[in-house]
Amino acid sequence: MRRENEFAVGVVVIAAFGVVVAGALWLSGAHLGRTEAVYTARFRTVGGLSVGDPVVLRGVRVGRVEAIRLAPGNWVEAALKIYAGVTPPAKPAVVAAPASLFGEWAATLISREPAPSDPNVRQALDEALAAGAGKWPGATLPDIGQLTAQASRIATDIAAVANRVQTAFDTEAVAELRRAIREFGQIADRLATVANEQADVLGSVGTKLRQGSEVLGKAATNLQTTLGRVDSATNQGQLLTILNNSAATSANLRSASQDARDLLAAAHRSQESMVRVLVSADSVFSRISNRSGTLGLLVSDSTLYRETTLTMIQLRQLLSDIQANPRKYFTFSVF
Amino acid sequence: MIAHVGRSAVAGIKAVGRFGQFVSDMVRALSDVATWGRLTPVQMRRVGVDSLPVALFIAAFTGVVLALQASYTFTGTVPLYFVGTLVGKTMMLELGPVLAGLALAGRVGASMAAELGTMRVTEQVDALETLAYDPQSYLVVPRVLAGTAMFPVIVALAILTGILTGWLASLLLLDLSTQEFIKGLKLFYRFKDTWFGLFKSATFGFTITLVGCIVGLGTRGGAEGVGRSTMQAVVYSAVLLLMLDAFWAMVLLR
Repeated sequence: MRRENEFAVGVVVIAAFGVVVAGALWLSGAHLGRTEAVYTARFRTVGGLSVGDPVVLRGVRVGRVEAIRLAPGNWVEAALKIYAGVTPPAKPAVVAAPASLFGEWAATLISREPAPSDPNVRQALDEALAAGAGKWPGATLPDIGQLTAQASRIATDIAAVANRVQTAFDTEAVAELRRAIREFGQIADRLATVANEQADVLGSVGTKLRQGSEVLGKAATNLQTTLGRVDSATNQGQLLTILNNSAATSANLRSASQDARDLLAAAHRSQESMVRVLVSADSVFSRISNRSGTLGLLVSDSTLYRETTLTMIQLRQLLSDIQANPRKYFTFSVF
Repeated sequence: MIAHVGRSAVAGIKAVGRFGQFVSDMVRALSDVATWGRLTPVQMRRVGVDSLPVALFIAAFTGVVLALQASYTFTGTVPLYFVGTLVGKTMMLELGPVLAGLALAGRVGASMAAELGTMRVTEQVDALETLAYDPQSYLVVPRVLAGTAMFPVIVALAILTGILTGWLASLLLLDLSTQEFIKGLKLFYRFKDTWFGLFKSATFGFTITLVGCIVGLGTRGGAEGVGRSTMQAVVYSAVLLLMLDAFWAMVLLR
């Protein structure tokens, strides 16, 4: 009975011990019996990275974070245990970043050649590298909380802008905007109508162009025929005669043109004289109209006209009297 | 009224004194290895091995319920593989030790209080003393040692059972693959999860068996007293277990 008790207890204890040890090793991802290399990475901050987090190379888990400790010079050093058989990049660097939205972090091994495209990561790696050799440079990406806080700030700014827009964009502005949109619609309708009309016109133009093109084609054909005739006329010396005649005609035309130019110059001079005469006449008529000068007075003053008429009458009478009685006015003597 | 308060205070102080005296006697009895050494395996069998079915039964259904409740809660933005995380963490840190402890408080604590109480009221304990047997090394130390040693064993197997049934429930009742469940299980695992639960369960075992022995050996008044002691042992054990649970959480998880 006593032996039976001891056996039962022993079985249960061994089973539990085995479960605990095997479970803990399996869950923590330990690799028993395999040599693991430990490397140290230098960070300014490790963010949410903690002991036990995975070390990842090109998406594959190749180790775990063994320890994290503060180091002189405001640095943080993380010991990374890399599984046996894994070859790190030639120029390794470590980027600590969230592995998911739920607080999981991972240390990702990357190569510094080529340099990371993110300028912040590149700067952090350069700074860690400049702090001394022998340790892998490390950079940390912002966690979800920081990104969320940044997004919150952006959302606040957008809300402020939206409030301002709402303030400026009151009911009246909306009404005006609606009216403008309505008018814009009408304009668009008109533009569409005009465009349709223009399309019709362009269609017509196109038709006419096609017709003109056909006419030009015919003209070209005729020209080709004419040129053929010219070509045949050239063969008989008729073109030379025509050219000679054309030269003579051209000389005559030049002479006639010179005559015409002289004629035009004379006409121009006559026109200038006429202008001067007209200007003088205009001056005279102006003075007459203004009742200045003799003619003006004659035109405007009836007394003078009557007196002049009377004078003329008297002159006629005097002439008649002189003709009738010359001795009354003239005396002739010889010696 | 004032006299009542005074009596209560004196009773409390006496209880603390008796407890201290009891513990010091037990520590002194540890030197009597010849006595408790041969009796401890028997108690380990009774406390540990014979209690396994109850603890595993409770843990099995706890694992299933945890998986289903986790999937019900996580519907939406939280990925379903967190079912594995929740099942593993909860079984290791809390439900495995506490539920097993509560179950064993009823089974082990009550049986010890009833057994020792019966021995007390039937004067068997007095007979042992007459025969120069130390009741501490003969009755108490084997039980307390057995409880302290075997509770972590029971809890470890209960945790394994709970995780296995949680995995089976996820596989059969939820749209979750084995790989996803294991991914969630390993996601936030720390070795502290394991030793915290086992250490806590050892303190639970110590407390439950100690309370059972103290209450049992303090039994007075015949069969009625035995019944009262049994009830007190269960109640005190359960209350102390939950207080210890909170205490260790505050001390070790902060």
